[in-house]
Amino acid sequence: MTPAFEKLQKHLKQLPGLGFRSAERIALHLLVEKPERLPTLVTALLEAAQTVRRCERCGNLAEGGPCAICANEKRDRSVVCVVEHVPDLVALERSGAYQGVYHVLHGKLSPIQGVGPKDLNLPSLLERIEAGEVRELILALSNDVEGEATCHYLTQHIPIDRVKFSRIGFGLPSGGGVLYADSVTLKSALDGRREYR
Amino acid sequence: MRLSRITLEHFRNIPLAELTLVGRQQFFIGQNGQGKTNLLEAVSYLTALRSFRTSDQSLLIGHGQTGAGIAYELEHELLDDTGVTIKLRPQGKEVTCDGEWVTKFSEYLGRFPTVVFSSQDQQLVRGAPAFRRRWLDLTIAAMDTGYLQLLQQYHRAVLDRNRLLKSGATPLEFSAFELPLATAAAQIVQKRAANVKVLSGYVADAYTAIAGEKERVTMQYQPDLDQTDTKGWTAVFAKNRGRDQLLKTTSTGPHRDDFDLLFGRHAVRDYGSEGQQRSLALALRLAQVNYFHERSGVQPVVLADDVLGELDQDRRKRFWTALGFDCQVIATGTGFPDAELGDWQIFKVDSGQFTEIENRDSLR
Ligand SMILES: [Zn+2]
Repeated sequence: MTPAFEKLQKHLKQLPGLGFRSAERIALHLLVEKPERLPTLVTALLEAAQTVRRCERCGNLAEGGPCAICANEKRDRSVVCVVEHVPDLVALERSGAYQGVYHVLHGKLSPIQGVGPKDLNLPSLLERIEAGEVRELILALSNDVEGEATCHYLTQHIPIDRVKFSRIGFGLPSGGGVLYADSVTLKSALDGRREYR
Repeated sequence: MRLSRITLEHFRNIPLAELTLVGRQQFFIGQNGQGKTNLLEAVSYLTALRSFRTSDQSLLIGHGQTGAGIAYELEHELLDDTGVTIKLRPQGKEVTCDGEWVTKFSEYLGRFPTVVFSSQDQQLVRGAPAFRRRWLDLTIAAMDTGYLQLLQQYHRAVLDRNRLLKSGATPLEFSAFELPLATAAAQIVQKRAANVKVLSGYVADAYTAIAGEKERVTMQYQPDLDQTDTKGWTAVFAKNRGRDQLLKTTSTGPHRDDFDLLFGRHAVRDYGSEGQQRSLALALRLAQVNYFHERSGVQPVVLADDVLGELDQDRRKRFWTALGFDCQVIATGTGFPDAELGDWQIFKVDSGQFTEIENRDSLR
């Protein structure tokens, strides 16, 4: 192989989920097998990098201004479902069972991995609550020590009595996250949420 | 259950071995370091998908190899004839049972019980509390996967809290992690207390059978703190924060528990003779065999690593009688096994190679 090829492969390998072999396959695919795909891919990458932002309100992906969910007038803004990551939100949306809005923390508290409260998307959640439109927070965090601790932290961190806390968990495998549950399980987990504070 | 065949590939120093086991008694004879214990390690790996010697799985893979494999064929009380295969990689493992992938460890654990008897077992009586805690945890967890999850939750929460103690954190962060910690702690103490009561009977019966004495042994749970309530533990962890920050570790909790082994009111560790302590170590393992058998309906396979030779003749006979005749025993030693203990199928072990020997004279 050539130095430029190896450099590309090295950068691809740093992407999540890609090992040495798959990085090699992708590099060969783009350079040798289907080079015609390369320009459109590069353009798409640059365009996305310039336009995709975090929604200022909820942390979901957006292109300037609020995300599609926050902008949707039909969603119930008084109910906010708190998730760890954007893919969790996508999984819950796919279940079709939920009509409220979201808040993406972009992580959970994890001292072992060096994640503290300041690393989470908390300030905008507090702003939303202080603005007075939030009536219920549904905590859809993973069913493990860090998820449990983050839920508990949120209930203490948001000492506002008019906000009702509930936690999904019914049907979720212990130690499992939202992302790995199927739509039916997620729907029953949402329906069967229990009061948390 | 009975192991009828085992195949090893690149497992420790064993490049390839295919052993057909006939009957219920196998003996592996050889000098130390030839691979006898490696074989027992491979057999016991079946039970909980972990080694009894190391937590570093990469050590199980032969030098210069990318992976190791073990295949078992079993006669099983509940599953009839069953095949299990395990592929080990430096990171992770793949397990199949009768050709199907095993994805839920909680459904697998407890199906294939084995109990290892080793010369290290005297530590159960004389050693640090950690040895007894490990014995207790493995015994409970093998029959109760909910307990295993509690232990994992507890240890994870301790790690998280210890990190907060070292790096500094707000009271809010501490209390966030002390809640799952306290929930697990309370349930662990409850389950240990209940199980020690049950196991005490098993240990006492096993001791009486092996030692041939009238004196009854009792087990008594010694929790670091006798607290079975989540709120109680939450208060304890909150109160200890200051001291724990100085110590940089969680100083109080079920990870400091122990249990006592007693003759009346006296600890066997302090008052028992050498022989009594030996018998008791054996009894703790025998109790596991009987407990697993009665709970799961599956007779565990006994793996005796160089222990039969250490016993005097009377104890050896009583131990043998106590095991019962329907129990498969796979044993190792540097010298020949006692012919009084029945018909052994004998394998010679030399540099990771196994040779079945038909009669003893061919070795001399
Ligand atoms: Zn949004």
